[in-house]
Amino acid sequence: MSDGRRLKFHLTGINNQNFIMADEETGTWWQQVSGEAIHGPLKGRRLNGVFHDELTFATWRRERPQGRVLRPSEDNDAWRKFSERWEEQTAKLPVVTQAAAQDTLAPRAVVMGVNLNGASKAYPLEAVERQSPLVDKVGGVPLLVVLGEDKKSVRAFETTVDGRALEFYVKADAGGGGAWRMFDGETRSEWDFTGRAVAGALAGRQLKKIPLLKDYWFDWKLYNPQTLVYAFNAP
Amino acid sequence: MNTKTKRHLLWLALVAIVVAAFAWVFVPVWTIQPFKAQTPGGVSLSYTLRSWSTLVTPVALALAALLVVVLWRGTRWWMKVALVLLLVPAVAATWFAQQNHFEWMFKPLAQSAYVAADKVDFVGDDEMVLAVEVNGDAVAYPVRQLAYHHVVEDTVGGLPVVSTY
Repeated sequence: MSDGRRLKFHLTGINNQNFIMADEETGTWWQQVSGEAIHGPLKGRRLNGVFHDELTFATWRRERPQGRVLRPSEDNDAWRKFSERWEEQTAKLPVVTQAAAQDTLAPRAVVMGVNLNGASKAYPLEAVERQSPLVDKVGGVPLLVVLGEDKKSVRAFETTVDGRALEFYVKADAGGGGAWRMFDGETRSEWDFTGRAVAGALAGRQLKKIPLLKDYWFDWKLYNPQTLVYAFNAP
Repeated sequence: MNTKTKRHLLWLALVAIVVAAFAWVFVPVWTIQPFKAQTPGGVSLSYTLRSWSTLVTPVALALAALLVVVLWRGTRWWMKVALVLLLVPAVAATWFAQQNHFEWMFKPLAQSAYVAADKVDFVGDDEMVLAVEVNGDAVAYPVRQLAYHHVVEDTVGGLPVVSTY
């Protein structure tokens, strides 16, 4: 939606492996990853981003049992064939943008990107998988990047509660029958994967969610040229 | 100008129009290829050509057809064949300008439909979904579907939303 007008979008092209969509109403071209109008009557406008999570279906359903799920197209089965191994297939595709000599990541390394207060940082998915929870600071904001119980869902939260930054740990007995929990070192309150304190002194409090963009490194870098990369030691 | 020179010029105009119409449509196709690097200038040129192509190609086709009619009389049979053949790329360009070839491979969802979370049998537990929630309306878009359609339109909690992947 732009200026109170609802637009209808179509896939219309590709720009260095990020797709371009066109709206039917004005013919403007929009870049998918940024939501920015790059050509046409609405050039320079940007679609408002809606906060989203990228989760496993099981995790989402546990959290939102009353939710609704997009039904697959019934009049065409092409999506099924295409999507069977799309992730593996896509990972093998060549990358057309230039890799920089100082890059520590492969072009198709998957990163979780954060933009805060004009600063950007990429968290390699591999780092999150190995070292969750990652505790860091972006644009002056103390934050936490954490891998869910399913080992696939990733979320980021601001760690400041009542003006103080908490330190978070994932409970060691996670997966041992009990529910997955984090706790903070200061009050030892227990927090679930939605960022809500479920037990302890801070019970009922909610950590502020930080939008994450799951992207390939080459694409993240293209749209966030000043990005920092979370350094981790791959064994 | 004698008749022969005039006819030569008309032939030249015909060829130029056909080549131009063809290029108008296929330069953007060439520039915006999935496994080719794009430059801002190339994307900009493609946008300009594509936004005018539905208008330019029928006009070019009409002009080309007019020239074919003019040149038809007094032309030997094999030149008539050439005239007809020249119209083929002009017709092709006109037809192609009305198409969205990206949607040939990735067919859009005409109307998105939804199933209650507890009734879903078409998504594996381990499959990723893109989840949004607005005003208590929680929706999951399975990434497998988004990766194919690229664009899914919805209204979530009263807010018009386009989910893209």
